[in-house]
Amino acid sequence: VPATLEQCEGVCLLRLDGDCNIASAAELKSLMAQALGCSRELRIDLEHATGLDITTLQLLWVCGRDAQASGVSIALVGRVPDDVLLAARHAGFDRFPVG
Amino acid sequence: VRLGRIKQLPCFIRGVFLSNKQTIDKFKQAFLEEAGEIFVELEAALLELNENRGDNELVGRAFRALHTIKGSGAMFGFDLVAAFVHNLESAFDEVRNGRLKVSAELINLSLEALDQIKAMLQEAVGNKAASPAVSAEILTKLRQLTAPLELGATQAAPVAATIALSGFPAAPGAAAVATRDWHIRFSPGPDLMRGGTDPLLLLRELRQLGNLRIKANMAALPLLSELDPERCYIRWDIVLTTSAAREAISDVFIFADDSCALTIEPDEPKPLAASAVIGKSVEKHNTEPVVTAISAPAGTTSEASKTKSPSYGRRATDAPDAAASIRVSSARLDQFVNLVAELVTVQARLLEIATRRDDPEVIAVAEQIEHLTSSLRENSISIRMLPIRATFERFRRLVHDLARDLHKEVELSIEGADTELDKSVIDELNDPLMHLIRNSMDHGIELPVNRVKAGKCPTARLRLSARYSGASVLISVSDDGSGIDAVAVRERAVEKGLIEAEARPSEAEIFALVMAPGFSTARQITGVSGRGVGMDVTRRRVEALRGTIDIESKAGAGTNITLRLPLLDYDFGLTPIIALPRKIASAFCGDSKAANDGPYMRRS
Repeated sequence: VPATLEQCEGVCLLRLDGDCNIASAAELKSLMAQALGCSRELRIDLEHATGLDITTLQLLWVCGRDAQASGVSIALVGRVPDDVLLAARHAGFDRFPVG
Repeated sequence: VRLGRIKQLPCFIRGVFLSNKQTIDKFKQAFLEEAGEIFVELEAALLELNENRGDNELVGRAFRALHTIKGSGAMFGFDLVAAFVHNLESAFDEVRNGRLKVSAELINLSLEALDQIKAMLQEAVGNKAASPAVSAEILTKLRQLTAPLELGATQAAPVAATIALSGFPAAPGAAAVATRDWHIRFSPGPDLMRGGTDPLLLLRELRQLGNLRIKANMAALPLLSELDPERCYIRWDIVLTTSAAREAISDVFIFADDSCALTIEPDEPKPLAASAVIGKSVEKHNTEPVVTAISAPAGTTSEASKTKSPSYGRRATDAPDAAASIRVSSARLDQFVNLVAELVTVQARLLEIATRRDDPEVIAVAEQIEHLTSSLRENSISIRMLPIRATFERFRRLVHDLARDLHKEVELSIEGADTELDKSVIDELNDPLMHLIRNSMDHGIELPVNRVKAGKCPTARLRLSARYSGASVLISVSDDGSGIDAVAVRERAVEKGLIEAEARPSEAEIFALVMAPGFSTARQITGVSGRGVGMDVTRRRVEALRGTIDIESKAGAGTNITLRLPLLDYDFGLTPIIALPRKIASAFCGDSKAANDGPYMRRS
């Protein structure tokens, strides 16, 4: 699964690595739920993500929305690769799903 | 058309992300099998198109087949094949858009390309390498065919050249083409992504058609806890400004049309600057929305989705019918039939024992089992039955190629293609039919000039037919060629010592001589026939099926060769002929002779 979750002093860091697609969507959802459930701050690192499909983009969007609704601070860390930004733009997102 | 099946293949692999090599290989193999069916479809479409060059439906069939091979090929890692097919697909896109006319050259080149695609796929799975030189030659010829279009467009008007280069085909007769806004609403169904289709790829493909304004609608996205991570909840509202035709837009969704709701509605055309528009657009403005939704997402049954789509080259039969059929390998089917045969044997023993013991309860159960076994036996036999259509249709290509090579004009007609035969019989008929057709084309059918001299139409008629006749199935190959020269056959038979010089055989006996091993009246061996092998092979195969061959021929009028395949038993109704493997025949028919004597023919 190209995603890992680290927790340190109340902050969760969710890292996406490589090609994130439907094959890893269930695991990613599980990590997101875990992060939202046990932390007040969630940081997402997409620096090493090479591609996101629709399942991953919509998970990021829902994660961002639900985090705001439940008072969890959510933000991106690191540089977001151009291909990832382009994927969101091509998918018709007004802005990047998170941050 | 089985285009739908390939579209459904990805549902098994859930994307191409699985790392299990064995699984991927399995699906590659499945793709190869499915591709074989698409090739048959493509070949048939090309050959029909050759006869009906203005038929847009046929152009659409060929284009869709190419599009499917390309898309599925790329999906399963056959990248070279996909790239090669892309060129051919582009050429047919030009045909669809009216910029390129269907010609014999295009058809022949497409058929060559089809052969090369088959070879490339075989190479990809470890068989003989396909020649790159052949690929290059085909692509060069293809470029030569399409190059005048690009050149003409460039010379006609710079605006048109820009359009052509950017991938927006111009309408025929127009130096520049009006663009139009298309309002597209795309709502993926719940299983679209599980079926292996990523909407993002579709949106990117759509973007290549023109200027795209796109808005993702997130309204349906549930809470994270309730979200099915493998389902796409996003819907898209899109405005596409393009000169591309409607069908080019709907083709983007060709892999998704059975699992999404899609509406495509045009706005008024937007003409380019008046000075740039020369001629007129041939595309009719149509304000009717195009809806290609086959399976709308749950709860979305809009009026639009109920609207029947205009055809635009699509047909109802293109829609996959996943529930109606499944693919089962012949080996597994044979195994099933074998097991049923074993069951029949055991059931007979059971009934015998039950009767001997005279136990009413056991007899009742044994009779029930007998009844069920009987139904199972009938069923197992019937599932092996196939219409002969595919076999017949395959010969269209042979006839086309031979006509081209022999400089003859031949029109092939097919009758009784729905006649069903057991798969093993159909397999056995391939070679005999091929030899009969080759003989007919080479020896029977005359050159057009000679036909005209003989007072005939320059185009010869060749007919393949199948029908049931009493206790037989008759498969015929007939032509209106020159017929068999009985005198020449007799002389040749005497020369070869097959008959005595003073013998006076009947005409039927003389015709039967053409089936003798090594017999040929041809003085010259051609690439097609003349060695006297083909008819011998035909005779042996038909005899192995316990059939006979009837030859009727009239000098100058043509020849009719009929394979008469017998039905040996008449006890089980009027189902068609079947050839049972010896072991099965023995079990089913209680015929010990069948167990030793090769294929056993009987009715189920």
